[in-house]
Amino acid sequence: MSLRNPPKVIRLTAHDGSTVEFLDEVKGSGGLKDCYFSPDRSYVVLFFRDPVDANGRDRLTNIVGRFRDGIFQQAGGDYWKNVYCWPERTLEWNGRFGITAPVYAKHFFFEHGSKNGDTLGIRGREKEGKWFASANNRNKFLDPKELGSWANYLRVCLLISRAVRRMHMAGLAHSDLSYKNVLVDPKGGNACIIDVDGLVVPGKFPPDVVGTPDFIAPEVVASAKLDKRDPNRKLPSIVTDCHALAVLIYMYLLYRHPLRGGKVHDADPTRDEELGMGERALFVEDPADPSNRIKVGQVRPSELPWADTQQRPYTLTGPYLAPLFLRAFGEGLKNPAQRPGASDWENALIRTVDLLQPCVNTSCEQGWYVFDNSSKPRCPFCGTPFKGVLPVLNLYYSTHKPGQFRPENHRLMVYTNQSLFSWHVSRNIAPNEKLTQDQRQRAGYFVFHQDRWYLVNERMPELFNATDNLPVPLGEKVELREDMKLLLSRAEGGRLLHVQLVDSR
Amino acid sequence: MRRLPVYLLLDTSGSMRGEPIAAVNVGLQALVASLRQDPSALETVHVCIMTFDMDVKTVVPLTPLDQLHLPQITTPESGPTFLGKALETLCGQLDRELRRSSADEKGDWAPLLFVMTDGSPTDLQVFEEQVVEIKRRPFGNIIGCAAGPKAKQEYLLQLTDRVFSLDTMDSASFTSFFKWVSAAVSSGSRSQGTEGASALPPPPAEILLVI
Repeated sequence: MSLRNPPKVIRLTAHDGSTVEFLDEVKGSGGLKDCYFSPDRSYVVLFFRDPVDANGRDRLTNIVGRFRDGIFQQAGGDYWKNVYCWPERTLEWNGRFGITAPVYAKHFFFEHGSKNGDTLGIRGREKEGKWFASANNRNKFLDPKELGSWANYLRVCLLISRAVRRMHMAGLAHSDLSYKNVLVDPKGGNACIIDVDGLVVPGKFPPDVVGTPDFIAPEVVASAKLDKRDPNRKLPSIVTDCHALAVLIYMYLLYRHPLRGGKVHDADPTRDEELGMGERALFVEDPADPSNRIKVGQVRPSELPWADTQQRPYTLTGPYLAPLFLRAFGEGLKNPAQRPGASDWENALIRTVDLLQPCVNTSCEQGWYVFDNSSKPRCPFCGTPFKGVLPVLNLYYSTHKPGQFRPENHRLMVYTNQSLFSWHVSRNIAPNEKLTQDQRQRAGYFVFHQDRWYLVNERMPELFNATDNLPVPLGEKVELREDMKLLLSRAEGGRLLHVQLVDSR
Repeated sequence: MRRLPVYLLLDTSGSMRGEPIAAVNVGLQALVASLRQDPSALETVHVCIMTFDMDVKTVVPLTPLDQLHLPQITTPESGPTFLGKALETLCGQLDRELRRSSADEKGDWAPLLFVMTDGSPTDLQVFEEQVVEIKRRPFGNIIGCAAGPKAKQEYLLQLTDRVFSLDTMDSASFTSFFKWVSAAVSSGSRSQGTEGASALPPPPAEILLVI
């Protein structure tokens, strides 16, 4: 073997006047761009292979400038650095237009990779979402240490929804959401949206892509053969992002595709695909039309039990997510305006996190599940029933009328070390990027001690046991009893907890 | 689950001896390794490798990517290039193993075919008959690769209008060709453009596109 000369360092001035350095060696190639590394590997430089027209340049200039500032330069802006890989600068080299972007965080690269000492050789490669969203890949190939718990997938979905919601709030559509363009780290519960350079702005910057198979909205698939200028041609937009987002969430929680069922639409596989993903798209769990159910006899054993919608129905995602899936893959397939928005998903996911319960089976693959509101809870994944006394807290909020509290369809499950946060204490605080450092601190926690459940007060100066008319000072604990009422805060929007005990001893 | 069958027809006639066949072996290893790192390909891709010289051999029957073991491909001292017979064998095999859709079960994706040769078919009459047969089969894409200065593109062009030409038969050329094959096989799961053009990736710089 001959020793090669190290690649030359290229030094350029970016359009914002700053200096950009990179090694003259293509380290990777995507659909449209070639990727180069900076010498210290703190950022990458991506050059488009094809010439970028004036409109494209204008778009990229806006992405690194106005759009970026609109999201990153506001209160809580730093939050987004972990959630987007957003291009930072534009530049030109040898007539090629390019952008710089941050490198992906370390947790987005496989540490263990595939089974049996990484036979597939994916260690150190990017954690593309498809690895995790397919039951077959999970069962057969991935090292179990990479898989993460089901609770982490909820967090991954929450981060993706939040990131998409923020873009949509700014009037921007991603246009190509897919498991290729969203890196996930189920082990640590992280997610990051990449390939932000294709952002679509209605009326100003039209899309370059229709999307990635599995995620293209039915109306886009159905009209794909029409000319781009045909008024009936549908192209990516905020509502098509909402379809892709619903598919992503369904796949990360259930490891199967919501529209890929057993129904044969045409003998020709290409036409069958067009119909099944387009004008005849049908949810595999449609309550009224069972014709597209996944046929368990036709799937590989490695896809089970996830491909079995009887055994793992979408309803196991709980009372907040299930109706959204039904809307997204029912009415929402035909009528894009009916699709749940990114903030609907974000809110439902936040509430669902509060319904999580750790599985008592320590070798349960998923580790966590959503409480099913029953008096005999059991893990839907491994079937292990809960044993013991399970406190369920129903959240009420204070209205402007003193002493009046209203229910809000929000429950909090209690388990050891479960925490109360400011967004539980007050209805006026939402857990999102705008939380102050102070609001991120734990307000209290729960502990099971000598057969009794306690809430320990850490940061709720007004915590009051309304059943016994006793204040609970900071640092003190209060035992949870059936039908007990605990006032967390006296301010407007302050919450009252109503305790229910599910006894499954 | 639909399979995506990928057929590779490789010329192993005498003129491939030495560096060219060594490069093909290395290229195949790289192709399989890179497809195995693609989670979408692992779900669907099945590979069949056939070689042709004076004999036609199915060196790897249609096998799921993760179960594939590549044998070392060798060439005889010298001899003819029975590309026609290879196509005939392929058609027979395809008819037996391709799963077609039925009323209640989805069949395979349209198969992909890659044909690589460094010369021209010796069995010209069979070749011409088989070109007709191949066109009757439901291939999604057929890609020809004319390797080296003696490769005759005109024959491959009868099979498909997608013919790539490798100027040289060294390992760099074959490596770039197999890299491209890998990208072409994976392209079904990539972002798709709004222009509706077929989703083949651009060829690498070292390869000339002859149409």
